[in-house]
Amino acid sequence: MGLLSSIYDSCKEKRTYFGTKMKGSAIDEAGEISKGPAPRKGLKRGLSIMDFILRIFAAICTLGSALGMVTTRETLPFATQFVKFRAVFDDLPTFVFFVTSNSIVCGYLVLSLVPSFFHIVRSTSVKSRVFLLSLDTVMYGLLTTGAAAATAIVYVAHYGNPNANWFPFCRQYNNFCERISGSLVGSFIAVVLFIIIILMSAIIISKR
Amino acid sequence: MSTTIDVPESSKVTKGKAVIVGPQRPGGWKKGVAIMDFILRLGAIAAALGAAATMGTSDQNLPFFTQFFQFEASYDSFTTFQFFVITMAIVGGYLVLSLPFSVIAIIRPHAVGPRLFLIILDTVFLTLATASGASAAAVVYLAHNGNQDSNWLAICNQFGDFCAQTSAAVVSSLSAVVIFVLLIVMSALAIGKP
Repeated sequence: MGLLSSIYDSCKEKRTYFGTKMKGSAIDEAGEISKGPAPRKGLKRGLSIMDFILRIFAAICTLGSALGMVTTRETLPFATQFVKFRAVFDDLPTFVFFVTSNSIVCGYLVLSLVPSFFHIVRSTSVKSRVFLLSLDTVMYGLLTTGAAAATAIVYVAHYGNPNANWFPFCRQYNNFCERISGSLVGSFIAVVLFIIIILMSAIIISKR
Repeated sequence: MSTTIDVPESSKVTKGKAVIVGPQRPGGWKKGVAIMDFILRLGAIAAALGAAATMGTSDQNLPFFTQFFQFEASYDSFTTFQFFVITMAIVGGYLVLSLPFSVIAIIRPHAVGPRLFLIILDTVFLTLATASGASAAAVVYLAHNGNQDSNWLAICNQFGDFCAQTSAAVVSSLSAVVIFVLLIVMSALAIGKP
């Protein structure tokens, strides 16, 4: 423990040395760039605006995913080895979960635009930022869970599983398959945007 | 003369002393949060490595003849479960490597650097853990219930032990996900209040 603390303190000494001797930006061991108070406020405001814009994008992406999955319906015109000739997203509970989680996250993102706008206007609110970050993390978990579960089912639909005797139904239901595969894309883009939003919120909170 | 030479030296010496016994600000609640973070990280290591090990050792051979062609089920047969084992092992490895940063956060409770670094990496590995846990959960759900509309049979009816082990592994990985979320929120709280 003494070794770790002495290593950390020597890194801190270098940072204070740079901060007093050189004007301008210096990079410490965590990769933060330390600036003066006015550029810091500008950085916070810029990141808050970025956060607002990314939330709008993520809301559009999740809405697109949910709609794309909900409007799937394919009826086969001919007889196959399947008993059922119609595929709807309802048939697989995992896809129902996917639609539900994307809708919830989309609604949350639209509602969170209000606090996000408030954070642009008031750069010094920390408690509400921490609260929004914790809500973001929970919603991010929900979104990633839905997207990953649907991806696993789409994978089985494409490739099947000979060991479990699960037939890949994509061979028969081409349009249905294309639609469910495509609607995953929007969800994963929203996942990436969420990561960026959470990281930016953490950086804004750490700058005081 | 001697004082000007001594002063930088003694300041370094006092700084050195400050490392161990010097007047640092009392840790307060931030130190408690950091200790909680360390303990939760240990729990998450157990959960992640336990999930990987349980899934990795899941293998069942049926002794009797059934309507199935295959009488053996192992995690190898499912690509999703292979992904699960590899990912949970990576997450467990990251958690072990992040323990020193957690210790630094305990020793220096008011430092922002280690906690911010941990938040960033925790978010990335939260993604990995959630994705692997959720996709394995989807396949386990299929194995338990099957799907009539796509003619997928529920293999759990035949392979009971395999099913139980994979379900336990999924539960363990999702508890690691919950711990990750708690870690991120606690670090953000500790960073936020000066």
